[in-house]
Amino acid sequence: MTDERQPDFDRYPELKKAWDRRQFIKSAVAGTAMMAVGGTLLRIAADDLSKKARAEKRKDGRERLPPGQRALEALRAMGGDEGDGDVRTFKLRVHGDVKTPFELDYAALLKLPQVTKEADVHCVTGWSLIGGQFKGVQIAMLAEKAGLKDGVRHVIFEAAHGYTANVPLKEATADTALVTYRLNGKPFDLSHGAPVRGLVPDLYFWKSAKWITGIRFVAKDEPGYWEVRGYNNHADPWKEERYA
Amino acid sequence: MPDDPAGAGLGAIIKKRWRGWLRAIHRDFGYLAVGFTLIYALSGIAINHIKDWDPNFHSQERSLTIAPIPTDATDDAAVALVIAATGTGKPDDVFRAGDELRLGYSDGTNVTAIGDTGQVTVQARQPRFFLRIANWLHYNRGKKAWTYVADLYAVMLLYLAISGIFMIKGRLGLRWRGTILVGIGIAAPLAYVVLSGGPTANNARVADAPVAKPAEPAPAPPPPDDEFARPKPRVPPPAP
Repeated sequence: MTDERQPDFDRYPELKKAWDRRQFIKSAVAGTAMMAVGGTLLRIAADDLSKKARAEKRKDGRERLPPGQRALEALRAMGGDEGDGDVRTFKLRVHGDVKTPFELDYAALLKLPQVTKEADVHCVTGWSLIGGQFKGVQIAMLAEKAGLKDGVRHVIFEAAHGYTANVPLKEATADTALVTYRLNGKPFDLSHGAPVRGLVPDLYFWKSAKWITGIRFVAKDEPGYWEVRGYNNHADPWKEERYA
Repeated sequence: MPDDPAGAGLGAIIKKRWRGWLRAIHRDFGYLAVGFTLIYALSGIAINHIKDWDPNFHSQERSLTIAPIPTDATDDAAVALVIAATGTGKPDDVFRAGDELRLGYSDGTNVTAIGDTGQVTVQARQPRFFLRIANWLHYNRGKKAWTYVADLYAVMLLYLAISGIFMIKGRLGLRWRGTILVGIGIAAPLAYVVLSGGPTANNARVADAPVAKPAEPAPAPPPPDDEFARPKPRVPPPAP
């Protein structure tokens, strides 16, 4: 049986090649479109975590899941120039405009008053982790121990290979802002900043520097690694402050 | 007879052969670009979907719970308790601080035991074949000379794109098919920018949004807990 829509190739053999190519392109486009639509529908239908988070409100009245975010079950490894991840060589330098700068190794960090805080974190690429239990030391406590000089307004997180992230003092010393070494009772994997990383959950997650090496208190703001590369200087997820 | 036969000859040669030279250079740049394009294109796809997978490493993590490790247990005794449960063998490095016992292995495996809860986590990872290196090059983490190599590749791509427009004449060239496809290639990103609102769209949308009001008065901050005041039990936490 012949297809009526098909040209008569016996009569016009030169059309065969072009017809085959056209059929191939049509099939390829249709197949790709079906896969894309099917995949998107499946992803939307299966996204119960996001639906649940979106239905909840924070104590400040904002939605628990900021706009443009999708809730995931675990942190995603987003790359970065890794530190060595070694607890033996870990050092945290607390310095800048402070009265008593100091340095902590891992054991000394664990001797400071520890807290465990439930926090949601939001990556600028669009995923969020809801309800993580982060254990560590409050940055407010480190600030108090170092004694801030008058005029300090910003905190610069310093990390391996010169990475920095700038955070306003108020947000860096919030109740849930930590230097943290454990999530849900487990140590961080090297991809996630082991052994110790920063945590500023109310700002996009790039502010929570992985492989942290220092906390510097300063009077004048110093845009960090991503901030000088086109990302927003403040990074509030509820205002979608993703880019400058 | 022309006044400048040599000049006229050169002009004629260029006029006659420029498309051939364009094609020859395009061909050779194309060959040179194969390796670079594989690196940049494959790592580009890999990194583009970084929120869905780890493009650099295969990571494995398993957790188990053992009896709490007594604080007065010696390092050797504590290590013996942990490796008996994990089956990871004698560690190359042991570190103990606070409530943690960390065992390091030369293959990169790390075992961390939380002494007072008995939670043990075994973490290991292997770099992905090809992509680990390709991504490193793509990110240009090393900087230095690769910056200039990558610049040269970008210049080659510019040449390939622009010379490609003029390589073929007639209906398959700019007269018909070429113009349509070049137009689509330029229109697609422009349309995306226009339809999405561009880089400042989010800021404008959020600025127009109504300000949320607090649902309830903010409660007093909870007291900080410590090693002995753990949070209340909750539903099992998501695996990292």
